[in-house]
Amino acid sequence: MRPIGPAGVFAPTQAAPFVAEEAAPARNRVRLLALAMFAVLLLLAGRAVQLAFSGDPLAQPHRTASAPAPVARADLVDRNGVLLATSVRAYALTATPARVWNAQETAAALRQMFPELDRDVLARRLTDSSRQVVYLRRGLTPNQREQVLALGLAGIGFQAEDRRAYPNGRLAAHVLGFTDVDLNPLAGVERGLDAQIRAAGESGRALALSIDVRVQYAVEEELDFAARAAGASGGAAVLLDAHSGEALALASWPSFDPNAAGAAPEHARVDRAAGGVRELGSTMKPFTVAMALEEGAASSREVFDLSQPFDVDGHAITDHEQILGPVGLREILARSSNIGAARLALRLGGARQRAYLERLGLTTPAQLELGRNQAPLAPRAQGRRDVAGLGFGYGLAATPAALAGAYTVFANDGARVEPTLLARAEDGVIARAPVFAPETARQVLLYMRAVVTNGTGRAADVPGLAVAGKTGTAEIWGRADGYTESRNFSSFAGVFPTHEPRYVIVFALDEVGQGGAGGAVAAPAVARTLRRVAPMLGLRVDAPAR
Amino acid sequence: MAKAHLRRAFVGLALVIIAVLAVGLYRAKSDAAKTEADVRRLEITIAETEAELRALRAEIAHLESPARVEDLAERHLGVAVASESAALPESAIDTRLPAPRAP
Repeated sequence: MRPIGPAGVFAPTQAAPFVAEEAAPARNRVRLLALAMFAVLLLLAGRAVQLAFSGDPLAQPHRTASAPAPVARADLVDRNGVLLATSVRAYALTATPARVWNAQETAAALRQMFPELDRDVLARRLTDSSRQVVYLRRGLTPNQREQVLALGLAGIGFQAEDRRAYPNGRLAAHVLGFTDVDLNPLAGVERGLDAQIRAAGESGRALALSIDVRVQYAVEEELDFAARAAGASGGAAVLLDAHSGEALALASWPSFDPNAAGAAPEHARVDRAAGGVRELGSTMKPFTVAMALEEGAASSREVFDLSQPFDVDGHAITDHEQILGPVGLREILARSSNIGAARLALRLGGARQRAYLERLGLTTPAQLELGRNQAPLAPRAQGRRDVAGLGFGYGLAATPAALAGAYTVFANDGARVEPTLLARAEDGVIARAPVFAPETARQVLLYMRAVVTNGTGRAADVPGLAVAGKTGTAEIWGRADGYTESRNFSSFAGVFPTHEPRYVIVFALDEVGQGGAGGAVAAPAVARTLRRVAPMLGLRVDAPAR
Repeated sequence: MAKAHLRRAFVGLALVIIAVLAVGLYRAKSDAAKTEADVRRLEITIAETEAELRALRAEIAHLESPARVEDLAERHLGVAVASESAALPESAIDTRLPAPRAP
């Protein structure tokens, strides 16, 4: 034992100071105390180092069942700020198998609330002791959670999560699309605008779409009415602000509830506005006339004799009703002459016709911000028959949305504006792609007005609104029976008001039976729709004289 | 001797300072951690409130949806969507109004 005191104080030969034998326990206590203090200081120092480098683990948040997950997706609103889609709190039903008392009874109790759960699968999961936590069902509402809690089942818990909700139900279902339970986008703008929706969600703002729920609702209702009345298998309607390209309404029939998209039949989830293509029929004729005028292949003063069938390489092209006497371009459109359109198309030739179709956006998929824009079926014309057929709307299958985009040329002095589902900023730059000269577009617009006042589209007329447009009745090709009059794609594509064209409307009904011509089923639906939506667009409709 | 005492005093003082610093650091970090935990709790509360707000906004949007309003208007008020047949020309208004009272 080293003596207490500094070294060298006592010489080796010097006798050590007297230390009583009974002082030894006291020294031991002092040593122990010193050791204890050292240990405490060491602990404090260690803790200080830990805190300095890692932070206090006790301060970390405790993830409880009610702890929220960050909202990954922004709200979707219409152009007026009306909520279309949002993320709401939901709960995943979980179980801790080790804590479940009686798996069979628990499974039976849960199945009373959720009959869709399979009893055997449920019981197997509840007894799966290899897992700490098992998921039983996703997307429970707060009410359902309360109901499960009221059952008082041991080992049953919840995990907070977000669920996408669409408060307007079926309204604009095909536009909005839907997500899966993990909020992965599957369809509609949820998918097409996924990156923007996530970015907006990160910054805590809503994403504004171009549609107007009032207009959308009116369009959907009239489409539903028209499709049911005509016995159609499907239908689509598009209403564009042609100046900005904004889609005010984009409807597909039949519809579905995106809140329960998985329960909807497959054919209801098909988007017929931008996801399905059909040969468009006579709604293509205004383009043929415009091409002929633009290229100097015909003039507004020229007259045609359309009284006889037109033979193209051994194939006779006829009109639905024989047109007697000399007629001009106006009559070709007003009476929807296939012969006239075919003649004009052949004067143009396949190359020039194709160039115009490309500039009209009819040979490439539309650019709408949806999960899927169906590519058109637009093979190059192989001969005179193909060129003639394209003149009156056969040989090219496109979506109603693409047709609406092409019709913007008649409201923009010949320039095409790409349709969009995003609300544009007031000072945003709008790309306008010139296709026809302004004079050509205005001339054809007047011809289309004649279609509505005196021609096949009379049922689309709305007093005071000056609708211009073109009907279309395309026979649908089937593998078994080829083209048949018993199945038609009936449509109307129009522009209004003629004196100050701004809006484009397209109505299309699929697989309408014989007699369901565009002028008979689609045109009246357009008129009914426009009477409803015109006040929403700030347009006046004249009351009928009494 | 005095030097030894001085050294011992320095050592003791250093130990005290170290101890004070360690305790001070511990308390500072603990307070910061506690505040951080409070902030996180507040953030959770805010998120919960926002979730409730979103649910309420969704409920409002559902209640105001055009289909529901139209259905209620038809059922309870007998009001239908306006149509061409429901519109009257201005000239017809006089015939629908009661005759003006004599002054």
